[in-house]
Parts: sequence; C-alpha cells; structure tokens
Amino acid sequence: MHIGRIDESATSGDSWLHRVSPVGKLLAFALVLAAVIVSWNVLLVGSLTLSLAAVAVSARLKPRLTFALAAYPAVFALVFAFSASTSVLGGVTIVLKAVTAALGAIIVVLTTPYPYVFAPIQRIVPTIVGDALLMTYRSLFLLLEKFANLLTAARLRAGLATGHPIRSARATTGALGGLLLYSIDLSQRSYDVMRVRGYEGRLRAPIPRSQAPLIDIALVLSALALLAVSVTWRLGWQELNPYSWALPILPAHALLAALLTWRRRA
Amino acid sequence: MSHIHIPDGVLPVWLWTAGWLAALLMIALAGCFAARSQAQRKVPLLGVVAALMIVGMSSEIVPIAYHVNLSVIGGILLGPALSVIAAFVVGLVLAMLGHGGVTVLGLNTMVIGAEMLIGWALFRGIVSILGRRRAGLSAGLTTVMTLALTTTALVGIVWLGGGGQAADRETGALDPATLRFERPLEEGVLEVGLFGGGHDHDHAHDDHNHHDDHDHAHDESERFLSVGRFAAVVYTLGPIGWLIEALVTAGIIGYVARIRPAMVFEGALAEKARRIPGDEAGGM
Repeated sequence: MHIGRIDESATSGDSWLHRVSPVGKLLAFALVLAAVIVSWNVLLVGSLTLSLAAVAVSARLKPRLTFALAAYPAVFALVFAFSASTSVLGGVTIVLKAVTAALGAIIVVLTTPYPYVFAPIQRIVPTIVGDALLMTYRSLFLLLEKFANLLTAARLRAGLATGHPIRSARATTGALGGLLLYSIDLSQRSYDVMRVRGYEGRLRAPIPRSQAPLIDIALVLSALALLAVSVTWRLGWQELNPYSWALPILPAHALLAALLTWRRRA
Repeated sequence: MSHIHIPDGVLPVWLWTAGWLAALLMIALAGCFAARSQAQRKVPLLGVVAALMIVGMSSEIVPIAYHVNLSVIGGILLGPALSVIAAFVVGLVLAMLGHGGVTVLGLNTMVIGAEMLIGWALFRGIVSILGRRRAGLSAGLTTVMTLALTTTALVGIVWLGGGGQAADRETGALDPATLRFERPLEEGVLEVGLFGGGHDHDHAHDDHNHHDDHDHAHDESERFLSVGRFAAVVYTLGPIGWLIEALVTAGIIGYVARIRPAMVFEGALAEKARRIPGDEAGGM
C-alpha cells in the first residue's frame, strides 16, 4: 500500500496538473472513462492508454508509483479476461481497459489531495457517508503506520519466524486484532476531541478554486476530444477500422515529447 | 474473488446502472437508519474498519490473484446499517486508487455489502449454536460460507452481463491475411449501437431462423464472455483464498472476542454510553 507516497505526491507536487481544479480533473476523468467504456477497438484503447501516460509523464508523476498502481488491477483483469473472454483480442482489450481506467483514476489521486477528491461527492451523499470517507483516509495512515511498527516489534521478539509458519500466522493475526482495537480507541479519542472542538456531525471539505482556469478548460476539452473519437469510432467502426493503425501515432508522439522534456529537466 | 474485478466498460450499461441505483437506494436507507440511531458517534469505528478492509484488499497474493477482503470482520463489528456504508466507502476509495472500476462501484457495493450482511447474520447464527467461547471458529466457518455464496453471486453477475448476445462486441480484429482491421463477428453484425453491445437483433433473429441446426453452437461461439470457464477458474482458485481469509478472520475475531466481547457479540450500535477502553465490565 503506497498511501503515504500517494498523499505526498498529491499535496507536495507542483506540476501543471496539480494546479488544475479538482472539479476539472474529475470531469476530465469522467470523460476519459466514458471513452474507455464505449471503445472496443484494441488500438483505440491502447491510444487512450498512451495519452494518459503522456499526461502522467508531463505532470512529472513518479513513474514507478504511477505505473505500478495502474498495473495492479491488470493482474485481476488478466485472470478475468483470460478465463471469461472467448477471444484473445477481447482479453487483451479487457486488460487494457482496466489499466487505462486505473491510470486515469491514479493521475487524479496523485495530483489532488484526498479531501478535495471527495469534496464534490460529500455534497451528494448522506452526512455519515461523507464523514466516513474522511475518517477512513485518516485511519488508513494510522493503521499502516501502527501495523509496520507492530510487525517490527513482533519480529524483534522472534514472534515471526520463517521456520514456524503456524506460529507466525497466529502472531500476525493476534497483532492485527490488537492493532484494530488500538486504532479504534485512537480514532474514537480523535472523534471525542473533534466533538469538544465543535464538530456537530458534518466534516465539510472545501472545493478549491482553479489556479489556472485556461488549463482547466484545455484539459476538459482534450478529454472531450478523446471521447468524441471513441464515440465516432464506435458508431462508424466498419468504415473506420481499416485506419485504426493511425490512432496511436499522435499519443505516441505526445508521450515521446513528454519523456524527452522530462529527461531534459531531470 | 468475491467482489468484482471486472474493468469499466465490460458489463452492459443496464447492469451497472441497475447496480448503482440499487446501491444508492441501500446507502440512502442505511443513512436514514444511521441518522435515527445516532450512528454518527460510530464514524471512527466505521473509518477504522473500512481502512482495515482497504489495506486487506490492497495486499495481493499474486500467485492466485487473490486478496483478503476482511469484509466478514467488518460485518461482525459494524452490523447491518453501517456495513452498507462501509462497503460503499471501501469501493469508492479503491476505485479512486485504480482497484476496481468506477462503473461497477454500485455492483461492488452490493456484493461487498451482501458479504458483510451475510457474514454478520451467519456469525450470529453459528455463535448461538457453538457458543461464545468458539467465536474464532464461528468466524472462520462464517467466512468460508459467506465467500462461497458471494462468489456464486459474482458468477451470476458475469452470467447476467456477459453470457448473452447483448454483450457481443466489435474489437477491431486485425485480419492477418489482408492486414486490415475487419469485423470479427462476420455474421449477424450489421451495425453497432453505442451502448447496444454491437449486435443487430433483427438480423440475428433472421439468422437464427435460417440456421436452426447449429443454433446453440453458434450462440456459444459468439458469446463475449465464457461464464463456464470463468466459474471454473474462480471455484478452483477461490477456495484457497477463502481458507486464507477464514484463518485471518478467525484469528482476529477470536482475539477481539477475548479482549472486547461486547464489540463482537453486541454490535456497534448496541452500545449506548461511551465506555472506557479496556473497562467493559465496569471495573469488575
């Protein structure tokens, strides 16, 4: 779980994409997602992947983190695709769709602090769900940090040994149980503090304004263009499919340009 | 395996829209119930349990493409109303981390929510038979049964979404002979609707009338997803994962039941007054 590194990238990053408003990014993500949903041409989905990769590189997102996170759903999609799909090409398309949609989501979370990602969602869901979203994120940090400490302590006291898998499993599950109780108590205490400081049953995250409205518009329009291409291809595929080879050229060049710029800056 | 790892845009629109509508209805109901029972004070517990599930679901056991869900633990600790909310929160956070699609979030909420609700109900039933002293064993048995049920629900969803002709797709297949992208479904495909799944039903109907002899074989070959193969894979790999999950659940619930029995046996919303941690017996 790379939650600490995701948060660091979202809050400390300073790229053009970090300056775009969360609403703009979410809107662009929704449009790209729609493009992924309607596309069944493997080269078109591949082109969408290349486009997003170019965006990620140009925003100087950490490549290892970004692409490792995007590849994670590919493992599950592989199992699904090659067990359920009746054709190899269909299977490849399914895996590419998973990676592309994941890459889109990851670009958003790597460039937007968590409260801002969920601020628009908070406005439409019941109060308890909105608050739970924020408390969950806070608890994730709590849990991961304490779990790492706990495992180190257990290892130092020889609670976890490679030669004794049963003993190790019992120690680990016991540690997880202890950690769960500890985290609940700690979280409950924070909640009590929040109550004392005036919390009345609603944590409201603000939606920040854009620092670069023109980039916002350009991003949304680009995403709209991708969706337009996907819809056009889906509707006129019989005439357009012979020209599918042309699709990846532009995104591949964009990725190459982003890579060259990135290397020059590095 | 129990929740849905199907990428966005694979299942038909009617199915994931129905999933979203059903999930939103469930969340609205759970929200109303939570407001009436002053569940706001349980938000910290909800957050920690949801975070635990997220950590579990983000830790993949690569060889069998499995991750623990810890949803039965969540169901036992949170009870029915909070479970639905936790299922949505977990699904949403995971979707934003690229794990699980956004369109299938509604279906995921329903499957994870069902896992938590069934887990909660089964655990209570089994504990009433085996007794509170065997909470760990009860939790383990509950986990295996619950995961078997929800995996079957998952196969049902794939059957609903991908087993029929409505899911036939145009994939832009490359014909090696002509090096052109030809339509892979040569018969029965005249036009592709944006969300229709790419099958001309009138033509398909005529086609069926003309080819009654090999109807079934033809249908099977044109199906987009093979439900039988998918079921074979999940029922082969799944039980290994269920066993791992049952052991983890049994260990954690066994531990919590020893230290804080009220948390396991009474449910999250049963506790009306704030208790001092570790002093549930009232200092006795």
